[in-house]
Amino acid sequence: MERIYEILGTFRKAGPEQLRVDAPVPTPYAAVDPEHLHVTLTAGAAAHLVVLHTTEGTSELTVELAEGAQLELTELFTAGTFSEMTVHQAARSCCRMTTVLLSGANASYRIDLAGAAAENNLGGVFLLGGQEHGVVKLHTNHLVADCRSDSTVKGVAGGEATGEFSGLVYVAQDAQRTDARQQSRNVLLSERARIETMPQLEIYADDVKCSHGATVGQMDADAILYMRQRGLSEAQARRLQIEGFVGDVVRRCGAEPLGEAVLALAAEKLERI
Amino acid sequence: MLSVKNLHATVEGKEILRGINLEVKAGEVHAIMGPNGSGKSTLASVLAGNEKFTVTEGSVEFLGHDLLSMSIEDRARLGLFLGFQYPVEIPGVTMANFMKLAVNEHRKYRGEEPLSAAEFLRLMKEKSAVVELSSKLTARAVNEGFSGGEKKKNEIFQMAMLDPKLAILDETDSGLDIDALRIVATGVTKLHTSENATVVITHYQRLLDYIVPDVVHVLYKGRIIYTGDKTLALKLEKEGYDWLINEYDK
Repeated sequence: MERIYEILGTFRKAGPEQLRVDAPVPTPYAAVDPEHLHVTLTAGAAAHLVVLHTTEGTSELTVELAEGAQLELTELFTAGTFSEMTVHQAARSCCRMTTVLLSGANASYRIDLAGAAAENNLGGVFLLGGQEHGVVKLHTNHLVADCRSDSTVKGVAGGEATGEFSGLVYVAQDAQRTDARQQSRNVLLSERARIETMPQLEIYADDVKCSHGATVGQMDADAILYMRQRGLSEAQARRLQIEGFVGDVVRRCGAEPLGEAVLALAAEKLERI
Repeated sequence: MLSVKNLHATVEGKEILRGINLEVKAGEVHAIMGPNGSGKSTLASVLAGNEKFTVTEGSVEFLGHDLLSMSIEDRARLGLFLGFQYPVEIPGVTMANFMKLAVNEHRKYRGEEPLSAAEFLRLMKEKSAVVELSSKLTARAVNEGFSGGEKKKNEIFQMAMLDPKLAILDETDSGLDIDALRIVATGVTKLHTSENATVVITHYQRLLDYIVPDVVHVLYKGRIIYTGDKTLALKLEKEGYDWLINEYDK
């Protein structure tokens, strides 16, 4: 965790209430435990924003991307925060989101693709152990034509933890040529852990490309055996496998060395699951 | 090095190994042949410690240790390597990462310091040459998207990295084209010394053209029913198992 603070310390502070970015060259910003934060990127602006949640409180973020704006948004939860985020995207804007729950938080996202050719890409991970209860809610609205969205949320639950993913992709009648993908992939590490996943599509346009899918599985016993045969302990093999499962999402939180630091934190969490 | 005495093993209550006796000494190459379902892969799995199988009788001594009382990973660290018939894909775990952990676990078991990053990279480079494994593959996730031939090469590459005392290769030749077979088999031969031993489980003589065995065993219905020298494999290739099986079943 110290490493994360160290990295965020080199970023500019966002907020406490407002962040407005005009610069076209992406600058990294950080917000720690924001209660209400409104983020605006003006036309053509670019930024990288990291939001860290370390308290049990509530957090409300609203993000407004004007035409052609580009935002890389990373959220990390280490407490049972209740957070709501709304992202409003104008034409040709691009928002790449990564969210990592290392705690029983409740994270809700509403994404409005409101301008043609807007693009949203979301990668999420929740790692839950003990008696934690974690929730990721995702509501992606394709309101106009020619937008793209691609979301993958991966869940891992051990102990007696429960995880929940609910995802809705809504495609309005006028949102022709929508390209929307949503995936929910989950692994249970114990008999008593539970993950519920509810991916939904609601489509009113007729010329669209939409796909969604959900899986809930166990650890791959053959892979564990294989790794142990090469000399890894069972614990190491399990950890490596879960790291492999969530690593692609966790590592993508842009602006190195943040990705590796978050992965290290996730690995620590895995030791405790 | 390896001494198997009267080994019996079951899976789901069904007896697959029914009294295996096998002695392997350092410097030797043994081939185990036999018809499908005779228990060849089970023998390999039981020696490696696969918990799916239950040993009901017998003993196995490996380098002076009671092998059957050891965990899978300790058997591996002691120097037993199993080349899998179907190497497993592990998404998201890079070969380099995996091998680094494996090599260092072996070193820790022997009381040695872990390798530095530079030493490890040098070792990877040196050993991937043994089986002409492209460095691109070692940067990728373990076996993910590898062709059949690449997976088997990757097994031998890992064998080279871990430098086992005893390597059991379970149908390493299955699913290989002629070129891949030559590379894999030559790789195994290169790794063979007077200090280590190899047990090759195979259906076909063709692998044994490269890896010349000192001893050839025929496994049938969970027992070794015949043991001979390398000429036995040739005879089996030509005449099949019937002459042995008929004699045994009588």
